[in-house]
Amino acid sequence: MKTTKVSRRQFLRMNALAATGVVLAACGASSAPQTGQSSSTAEPSSAAASAATALSVPAVAKPATITWWSVPSEEYNEEAQRKMLAAFEKANPNIKVNLTVLPADGYDQKMTTALGANQGAPDVAFFWNSAWLPQALDLEPLIKAENFDKSQYIKGFWDTRTQFKGTTVGLPLGVGANFVLYNKKTFDDMKVSYPDMNLTPEQWLQLTPKLTDPSKKRWGGDRPRGPFRAIWFNLGARPFSADSKTVSGYLNGDASVKAYTWLWDLINTNSTPTAADLDVLGTAGTGPVDLFMAGRLAMATLNQGHMLNAVSANVPFGLAREPGTGSNGSWVNAWSNTISVWKGSKEPEAAWTFLRFWGGPEGQKFLMDNANLLPSIKPVLDQYSKANEDYAKTFFQILQDRQVAEVGNLPWMSPVLRAAKPVWDKVMANQIKRDQIKAELDAVVPAAQKALDDARQRLG
Amino acid sequence: MALQPWRTMQPRARREAWEGYLGILPWVIGFVLFTAGPLLVSLGLSFTQWDIVRPPQWVGLANYIRMFTDDDLFRTSLLVTFSYVLLSVPLQLIVGLALALLLNANLRGMNLFRTIFYLPAVLSGVAVALMWIWILHPDLGVVNGILSIFGIKGPGWFWDQHWALPSVVLMRLWSVGGGAVIYLAGLQNIPSQLYEASEIDGASRWQQFWSITLPLLTPTLFFQLITIMIDAFRIFTEAYVITKGGPLNATYFYMLYLYEEAFQNFNMGYASALGWVLVIITAIAALILFRTSSRWVFYEDSEERTV
Repeated sequence: MKTTKVSRRQFLRMNALAATGVVLAACGASSAPQTGQSSSTAEPSSAAASAATALSVPAVAKPATITWWSVPSEEYNEEAQRKMLAAFEKANPNIKVNLTVLPADGYDQKMTTALGANQGAPDVAFFWNSAWLPQALDLEPLIKAENFDKSQYIKGFWDTRTQFKGTTVGLPLGVGANFVLYNKKTFDDMKVSYPDMNLTPEQWLQLTPKLTDPSKKRWGGDRPRGPFRAIWFNLGARPFSADSKTVSGYLNGDASVKAYTWLWDLINTNSTPTAADLDVLGTAGTGPVDLFMAGRLAMATLNQGHMLNAVSANVPFGLAREPGTGSNGSWVNAWSNTISVWKGSKEPEAAWTFLRFWGGPEGQKFLMDNANLLPSIKPVLDQYSKANEDYAKTFFQILQDRQVAEVGNLPWMSPVLRAAKPVWDKVMANQIKRDQIKAELDAVVPAAQKALDDARQRLG
Repeated sequence: MALQPWRTMQPRARREAWEGYLGILPWVIGFVLFTAGPLLVSLGLSFTQWDIVRPPQWVGLANYIRMFTDDDLFRTSLLVTFSYVLLSVPLQLIVGLALALLLNANLRGMNLFRTIFYLPAVLSGVAVALMWIWILHPDLGVVNGILSIFGIKGPGWFWDQHWALPSVVLMRLWSVGGGAVIYLAGLQNIPSQLYEASEIDGASRWQQFWSITLPLLTPTLFFQLITIMIDAFRIFTEAYVITKGGPLNATYFYMLYLYEEAFQNFNMGYASALGWVLVIITAIAALILFRTSSRWVFYEDSEERTV
């Protein structure tokens, strides 16, 4: 056999050339904020309470097989979902559902690929990425045909998680929210009165130094994880106008300056963990729950999962809204998972039948009773086993607040905040003086406006 | 060596050639489907506006025009990435070579040391990044802890605008053991007779290094330079996991910008254009290195000094 000798020089050159050829790295898709435009729905009705206990889904006449993609989570593990599916199939013998439980890490990539290719997507699935919503089936005709009761859902979750371009494309499954957990023992130790649930920004500034104890390596309270979340909205700040056209006067408006100034004041109390502390000691993406549980953070912005952990660990705690004045209404950073029917489904009626079971009173109650889901349907949520506990009552009240997602889920929010990030970084790093905040915000307005215009043109 | 024309080949040689093609067929299919195909598709997408789930819209050169005329973040990310490349590549080359020289010493238990220094190269990038967050924490980190013993107040590292980029460079240096193994192979290919002869001539260790080791190692250095440079242009994980591009865009690398455009802003067409500009920049940098290599790369099997 004839061979061609490759010299070391040629070998090294070939390797270097080959390495030059491929530069692009494959990047995994990330969970992105979910989109939903606001629309109005009626208030929750008590009539839905009775529906919660009965299997009210009419059976589809002709046999159908549909596919369902899901992920396991703390709120709904695989076993509970399979049991729920068995209950559905028992009530709907004509519908066979093929469930695929995907690892949460790979779900987004798989969905994006299937929806982008417009083939192979599941009939029913989580549509939690706003980029997927154009591929979700318009549910309004089905909702109207069956007189499906939208008002059973908590209004904020319905408004922010089910609407796209003026129509309904999904149902909200489960609820979650951020709120302040405060450690009662720390308050007692420092002889400080507990706050009520309507904590103000000024109170937060006063309480954090009082609750800080360097000898015990304890901070009084944490710092926000980003601008234009609940506190900003509570203070009346918005990144852009209601019609999403103008940045000037909003991002750099009085309310926004007030919110950034509040943050500046908080940083300068030296009573909060630094950004480095939160990166190292916090739990990625979910807040400094470990510091709170260890008694090293007297007040922390956490979520309902952390609240239940605190209950299990017998940490004495109280609940409050994120700081606000009340004059701009109470806003909450809350979330739910949108579940939808794929527009390309060959069995839309069967898929809808299953969707409204899964995201309706029956499915959500099943997952509440058999896993850890907190339902987005108020009458079902009221049947929660701990519903009479003080913390649950406060949490349920907070869920009724207006949601940051009304604005936060708009697809142009992310580019606008990216353009405004230098101001956040400077305040967090204490690199500017208090009276420079307005000028710093003014300086990022042109870039933010450009980012808004560009994103609206592409995604509007 | 010239290839033999197909028609003049003996039947046996033809059969062997077919077997050869058959052998490489799985790789060729994989390359076409998973590398060349997506590359070409991304080139096409770079002339479109595409939000993933709706059909792409042809926009011609608009993405490229915007990039060079109306995009501050493009310029920022490019500048940060160039700064990183200029800072990181020479350091990785020098430290990797120095480590290889140490690991080339004829000492007892050297294989164990080689293994230990190579270990960082096989660890997951995300896990390493999370570990370095701890190591370089301004108050709790071991580095500032050691500095404080000597009365030095350590910097804010990843959380300081001026130290964030050097922190990423430092973190990358930790894994030069992977490159050192390649240097080591190069070092062990240098004929020992050259060292013996130079010793007889009275050459010092330093003279041996400058006159024998370094010239004969230049092909390996060249290979390392190309691969490290390409890798440096693609830096992403550290910024994504640790700094998110901050503080104040100090670590806003090009690939992070590309990722945000693609997967946060759903601007796939623009992200594809960004990818192709990076390919072109990297190719130009590599071409410059190839062109200049004739002046400093020496090949043992060639009488010429040129490549």
